[in-house]
Amino acid sequence: MATEKRNKEEEEVKTDDGSPKIKPRPIVQLGIFLVAHSPVFSVVFSAAGVLALLILPLLAKNTYISENALMPGSARSMLSNRDVSDGSKLVKDIKNYRLNHEGQVQKLVGKYMSEMVAEVYYQKFHPEGNQFHPLHFFSGPDSYTLLDNVSCASYGVNVAGIIRAPRGDGKESIVLVTPYDFINGGDYEALSLGITSTLFSLLARVTWLSKDIIWLVADSRYGDYRPVAAWLSEYHSPSFKVSDLLKCGERNTADNFRRAGTVAAALVLKVDGRSERFEDTLSIYAEASNGQMPNLDLINVVNYLAVHRQGFYVKVEKVVSLLSSSWLKIIGEIFEAVGKLAHTLNPDWNFGIPVADYLEGSATLASSLYSQALGIPTGPHGAFRDNQVDAITLKVSPRFPPDSKTRQHDFFLRGARLLEGTIRSVNNLLEKFHQSFFLYLLTSPSKFISVGVYMIAFALLVAPLPMVAASLYIEGCKALTKSTDNPTENLKSWKWLDAAKQVFALHLFGFIVTLLPYFICQVPGQHSPSNRSIMWGTTSSSLLLITFAAIPGCSPFTSRHHGTHWAVLKSVTISAAFIGLCLMSIINFATAEIGALLLVPTCLMAQPIKPALRSRRIKSMLGAFCSMVLLTIGFPVMFFAISKGLFGEGLVGLSLGGEFWTWLESLWAWKSATYLYIGMVHLPCWLLCLCILFHPS
Amino acid sequence: MAHHCCSRFLDLSRFRVLKGNQVISCADILSAMLLRGIGQKLQMAYGLNARLLGFLKSSRDKVILPCGDIAALVYLWNPFTIVSCVGLSTSPIENLAVVLALFGAVTRRVPLAAFGFVMATHLSLYPATLAIPIIIILGYGLDAPPIKLFLQTRSVENEKSSTSTVSKQAKSKQTTHLPFLWKTVAHFLFWVLLWSLYVLVLCALSLNKYGGLEEMFKRTYGFILSIEDLSPNIGVFWYFFAEVFDFFRNFFLIVFHVNVLFMLLPLVIRLKHRPCFLAFVYLAISSILKSYPSVGDSALYLSLWALFVNELIDMKFSFFLFCGYLGISLLSPVMHNLWIWRGTGNANFYFGNAIGYACFQIVFVVESVSAMLNHDRALRRSSSNHGEVKS
Repeated sequence: MATEKRNKEEEEVKTDDGSPKIKPRPIVQLGIFLVAHSPVFSVVFSAAGVLALLILPLLAKNTYISENALMPGSARSMLSNRDVSDGSKLVKDIKNYRLNHEGQVQKLVGKYMSEMVAEVYYQKFHPEGNQFHPLHFFSGPDSYTLLDNVSCASYGVNVAGIIRAPRGDGKESIVLVTPYDFINGGDYEALSLGITSTLFSLLARVTWLSKDIIWLVADSRYGDYRPVAAWLSEYHSPSFKVSDLLKCGERNTADNFRRAGTVAAALVLKVDGRSERFEDTLSIYAEASNGQMPNLDLINVVNYLAVHRQGFYVKVEKVVSLLSSSWLKIIGEIFEAVGKLAHTLNPDWNFGIPVADYLEGSATLASSLYSQALGIPTGPHGAFRDNQVDAITLKVSPRFPPDSKTRQHDFFLRGARLLEGTIRSVNNLLEKFHQSFFLYLLTSPSKFISVGVYMIAFALLVAPLPMVAASLYIEGCKALTKSTDNPTENLKSWKWLDAAKQVFALHLFGFIVTLLPYFICQVPGQHSPSNRSIMWGTTSSSLLLITFAAIPGCSPFTSRHHGTHWAVLKSVTISAAFIGLCLMSIINFATAEIGALLLVPTCLMAQPIKPALRSRRIKSMLGAFCSMVLLTIGFPVMFFAISKGLFGEGLVGLSLGGEFWTWLESLWAWKSATYLYIGMVHLPCWLLCLCILFHPS
Repeated sequence: MAHHCCSRFLDLSRFRVLKGNQVISCADILSAMLLRGIGQKLQMAYGLNARLLGFLKSSRDKVILPCGDIAALVYLWNPFTIVSCVGLSTSPIENLAVVLALFGAVTRRVPLAAFGFVMATHLSLYPATLAIPIIIILGYGLDAPPIKLFLQTRSVENEKSSTSTVSKQAKSKQTTHLPFLWKTVAHFLFWVLLWSLYVLVLCALSLNKYGGLEEMFKRTYGFILSIEDLSPNIGVFWYFFAEVFDFFRNFFLIVFHVNVLFMLLPLVIRLKHRPCFLAFVYLAISSILKSYPSVGDSALYLSLWALFVNELIDMKFSFFLFCGYLGISLLSPVMHNLWIWRGTGNANFYFGNAIGYACFQIVFVVESVSAMLNHDRALRRSSSNHGEVKS
């Protein structure tokens, strides 16, 4: 990136001076060469970027435990049958309790906890909390506003128990979370309580604990995420305002919220459904909001213990439809053949992998990219990541039906041993997780691609942008100097100001459009999502017309010939897109990568359609056609529809607007930066490309 | 009751915040007005000089841009100014003092110039370097093309009389030296002495109970010079001094501070005919090499830069620099967020950004100075051409 800019700069030196006296240095010559042949290089670089993305599964490395203090699996498990029977008893009791409708299950769990000499408390929370507010992006988790008029009709109650560490100073803690729906939780869900209860009964009497253990039974009646987020926000930022919620219900829960120290790590345990495989399956979910990931060491420890000690089948989420796609298979076969050929040439070159591995890797990578790009956490662990705590969700699927007693004993033993080993490792830590990677993509539970590798694909993809911007800038300046011989207008190096004005106006428009839903949500009365999306669409388009009318020279439909030259406009547009994409790649890499795949070709191909049609040459007609197709696909609603169609959900015609609105609503409810990207980078750049397309040149 | 008290206290603090905000925004508006005043003077001087050198009558008649208005608008609408105003930083007040000093010098109100200079130095120490440009402005007059040019034009044209002080002096002496107004400068120095005495006495009186002046110097200038606070900022010092070994610390402190002083002399030799521009260059350099820089400093030197739009119209890399400033100013909060809040990045992320910012500032200053020198060269070339054509 830096070299590109330098290149551009050097190129300007030459053109502005007019008389290059000194022979430029090799790097400068290289820069001039790159800018002069920018069309060829932009095609080469973009193709290389896409290829690098496809190659990523080949470049994945095996994970390794980076932090030495973790030492997973080095200690013998101390779990006994007595602990397991404690867990089984709890599960049985819960079942009976619910059959007989004896009252709140929370009380039962609390009773069990206090029997294990833990400090128990109950926390009430309100299920609402996610509403669109423009300032909530990037703000901390403590921005949940306390609603003043809460009703007692709907609230949840979390139960939490704390075991104080005999060897600790109470400054650090580890959190175990088991979401459980106390009203209509299934039999499988109760098993997670059983496993944790087994472990808790062990931890209550061990001597090696140096960090406090908190067991949070989250009331998942209103989703998994909200109770955990409510508990965490109370844990980290206590509110001194007396909430009305506390008066609800029989038990007054005020003043008894207990805390342990800083949370070092958190594990969320869920049990659901029956495993389709022969072994018990353990799925790891790690993606938190805005594509943040927990430290890789945490996943490594869990994966190591689950595979090598407890014999679980560990998997991470993957896009299943990719596994059977034929084009990916062909690519995989090509890579395999190339790998084999390389191996015969030099036995040290071992980068080829079998087709099946490649398919698995790409499907997992695609899923990893997708969930990161969406920016929506894949489980309750997202709430922890918002508080800078490393956390993952473990979803265990047993291979037996829930009522099988003998299998259940073994299952509890193994599940609790896995958790015990993980907690023991985290317990060894002297400082926060910092040794391993935070920025990575998973291609399987034991393989990862680090930031240094996947950034190459992105860098190659966006590399043409500054190059093309520089060459277009030079071209546009030359054209402008030729066309205006007016001596008063000798603003030699400031010709881009007009174009910058237009780009700024459209970005401002994008900003306003991004904020509009906030006001549309304030419109009184109940409206369906499609109505709201129609409101949004009409307001935005009228705003766009006003922008075009108010700022002369901004509109693509003016016939004035002394407006900005399209090459300068395109150069400024491309620069804006480049800055936006680079910025986004740091906030959320996956969004930027997917956005770049869409935006880079659109920006590079955009050119005025009129001269192309007038010239009647096949090459220019083809270019115009390509840019029109790319622009059609690039429209956010269109892209949404197409990707829906690709995922096999079918096009829905009229309700498309409503669905798009619902999708966006979910994005801003989760404070996803992807929403900001769509509104403030993608949409303005798309509109600018449209302006260039209809430019009256 | 406690609740009530709490809310009253909140109201009070909010009121205080509002009041502080008003002071700061007033300072910003005042600075913009003063900048406009400076700009009008400079514009007049530019027009006068151009007429004297015979450019305005020529065929390529230039439109003189209203640089004062542009500078005031650049100052008020600069995102950096807005951010430092909203963030309740004290840099608008420091900027006001600096602008006040320059305004006083340009309009030849010596006590005002001395007051602004003393206040600016008292508030942030680095504007002490402005003593040189202010003395030159007071001694030699405003920015003008090199004196040689006027002599050249005179010898060719043999004009009779003119109103400009510069040309009068040049005419009467017919030497390459301008008279230096020692009296005004002595006046200025006297006022500086007076104002600093005044400020020091006031400080001594008010800080009587808190350790007196010695403590004040230690806590203010000492704090600036010894770089005790290593919390991250957009400068480059915090990272270096967090890494450096303790026994090298003093040595590097000297090296880093001498860096600022090092460039004063060469620049004053080269740019002595353009003292206001020299002030801009000094401010820009000190904002790069400051121990605790902020975006408020950039806001000041960017608006001072806009005072010279007429001369710097051919500046190179304007688009590149614009993109760079924009990108860096968007990137740095994100990097800070990544490192401090999310915890997934590290200090290098943010520091890399700070280095990039410093590089862009350096390119900006270098390009501005070279554009100014090129402007002078172009004037010389065209005036000699002009003379040849006439003769």
